[in-house]
Amino acid sequence: MRLSDATVVIRPRTSWEAMDLGVLLSQRHRRLLMTSWAIITLPIFALLSFWLWDSPSLAVFIFWWLKPAFERLPLYILSKAMFGETPTLKQALRQWPNLLKPQLLASLTWRRLSLSRSFLMPVVQLEGLAGDERQQRLRVLLQRNAGAAQWLTIIGVHLESALWIGLMVLFYMFLPQQVELDWSWQTLIAVATQDWRWLEHLTNFFYVLVLIVWEPIYVACGFSLYLNRRTVLEAWDIELVFRRLRQHLNTTTVTLLLAAIMLVPTTQNVWATEPVITPDSPRLQDQPLTSQASRDSIKTILDQPPFKNKETVTRYRFGEDKPDTKTPDDGKTPEWLKALAGLLDSQRFGFIANLIEVLLWAAVMSAIGVLIWRYRDWLQAFVSRRPVLNRRAARPLPQQAFGLDLSRETLPADIAASAESLWQTNPRAALGLLYRALLSHLLHDHNMALKPADTEGEVLQRVEQLHQPALLAFSRTLTGHWQNMAYGHRLPPAHLQQELCDGWRTLFGPGAAR
Amino acid sequence: MLETTALPRKATLPPPLDTRYQVETPEGIDLPLRPAGLMVRALAFSIDLGLRGLILGVLFIVLAFLGKLGAGLGSILLFGVSWWYMVLFEVLNQGRSPGKQWMGLRVVHDDGTPIGWSASLIRNLLRFVDMLPFGYFLGAISCLQHPHFKRLGDLAAGTLVIYREQPLTRPQLPDAQPRRPAFALTLPEQRAVLGFAERQGELSEARSHELASILAQPLQVPAPRAVAELNAIARGLLGPA
Repeated sequence: MRLSDATVVIRPRTSWEAMDLGVLLSQRHRRLLMTSWAIITLPIFALLSFWLWDSPSLAVFIFWWLKPAFERLPLYILSKAMFGETPTLKQALRQWPNLLKPQLLASLTWRRLSLSRSFLMPVVQLEGLAGDERQQRLRVLLQRNAGAAQWLTIIGVHLESALWIGLMVLFYMFLPQQVELDWSWQTLIAVATQDWRWLEHLTNFFYVLVLIVWEPIYVACGFSLYLNRRTVLEAWDIELVFRRLRQHLNTTTVTLLLAAIMLVPTTQNVWATEPVITPDSPRLQDQPLTSQASRDSIKTILDQPPFKNKETVTRYRFGEDKPDTKTPDDGKTPEWLKALAGLLDSQRFGFIANLIEVLLWAAVMSAIGVLIWRYRDWLQAFVSRRPVLNRRAARPLPQQAFGLDLSRETLPADIAASAESLWQTNPRAALGLLYRALLSHLLHDHNMALKPADTEGEVLQRVEQLHQPALLAFSRTLTGHWQNMAYGHRLPPAHLQQELCDGWRTLFGPGAAR
Repeated sequence: MLETTALPRKATLPPPLDTRYQVETPEGIDLPLRPAGLMVRALAFSIDLGLRGLILGVLFIVLAFLGKLGAGLGSILLFGVSWWYMVLFEVLNQGRSPGKQWMGLRVVHDDGTPIGWSASLIRNLLRFVDMLPFGYFLGAISCLQHPHFKRLGDLAAGTLVIYREQPLTRPQLPDAQPRRPAFALTLPEQRAVLGFAERQGELSEARSHELASILAQPLQVPAPRAVAELNAIARGLLGPA
């Protein structure tokens, strides 16, 4: 066994990945594995069936029990193929009787029901260990991956039965309808009591077919698990790289030494005969590979696919004029065409060409303009960046101005009366009430568009626009005194009380409804 | 002197088998994915199957108290769980149903990108084809025969079941005075030296001596000291850490 000959990439894997590698290994040698398995199992199954014709279940049970004996052949093939010495079918079959010798009894009796059978089989067959040595080896191997090996067997049992039942169902589905009519479930169940042995032997045969597919994979998976365990235990991957490194280092040292010894005496000659050595000079012409030849071969390689991908494109085009090979008949048409072309190229037609160009561009522009006009609504809806504000939205009436509450509900019923009564104790509140009532009145009764940001002056300007001199005069007086009061803290003269209240009453009526 | 690295006998041999699947990105970077085979997927599926059975069983017991309404809800539930369980988990949980999560698997597109709705729906609807004629007969055969272990649904949807990358733990290197090797090491060789130092705990002492003595002569040290020398080089490769 030489690790460098291995046909698989050796590196430590997880146990599941190791099984996957086994599947790949069995895929590569599928034909050999399946034919060899079929050749050894089918005759034995035929013999068993013939011998135990009356008890088909026993026949298939014995066949199943003998599986470890058959499994030695795929393992042998795989172990050889692993290191690049794939045996032929004949060699493998000839080897099988020898393979059966070691510890066959043990593997067919007390080791038959071991769940990690495929994982441990290589210890006996490939390492040839027995007794205490084997026990010791198993202990080391089973420290890890034991669970995976057992799972492999459990999955295998289920897969075998699924495939077996699947084949039976497939067989049942492919029966012609006339035959199927005669069968019912009762007869199928009661098959043992009837003379339908052949059916049972047929289902047994299906099991043998299933094993032809599955057993090589099972053995390969166990084998690759074993290989993986040993790769981890003995660091095969590291050994491989170390050996390669040593070989590489040794050859380079030897080459360097050889080169040094050989070149030293001849250096002078080489310099004398060939003073200029450039990559272009055809130096070393005696060698099997001259620089010219190597350059040629490099060029041919560089002209080939991955470096240069040539593509041939075929399409139709007008044939070109060939003045040399013109026949007299062909000459006629090109002559006047040429004359026309010359005419068109001349100065006279230059401005016409410009005119046409201008016209064409104008047509393009106007077409774009028409398009934009046609889709103006769409463009407005979807292209404009700022959404158009809906200006007609009713502005809510402001509830406050200068911090004064303008809603009608907060005003007393008789404003003039309450202002009079307030005047004695709190003239500021009285004036405020009057002014507030005025604003409220303007807002609600005259529909004046007051904004929260308006100043007293602006309110007066708006009152001017109403063209009601009495209201304007009253508003002016009231605003003036209110401003004095509010900002200047100057008390209005006493007579003003009566004046304002009367003014209010005359303007808005004695009841002075809110 | 004309020198080839490979032996002429090996020129016709197929490339060595590996369980890796390389995806090349447009930048020319190879992403190694590790497709998962039948055994681990079968286990993941059984976990999912058991979980679904458990959910349905519990809910059916609850719904049994609701009479006819319960029966109706139950059939809706049966539909939802059997058809959407895998799809929802795969798309919304990074390609991992609970069983796959447990077994360290995930589903991706062939090019390694996360699985989407259409691919997941196709691969799970085609379970029906994989199940024919009984118990994933076709699926198992396809899975065992395909080089990247795809069942028919995976082939149709262009998906791949791979092993998830597990978080790495920091390996412990034996203590040594860092040293530089006398010769240049390529990347695989550096990895091997580091691997030798990291895995020394798992190797038997005799085996690590045997391995190190392979390199004793090029390192120009006596064989018994080769292990320490390699550990020193590994420390040197690791750098200050």
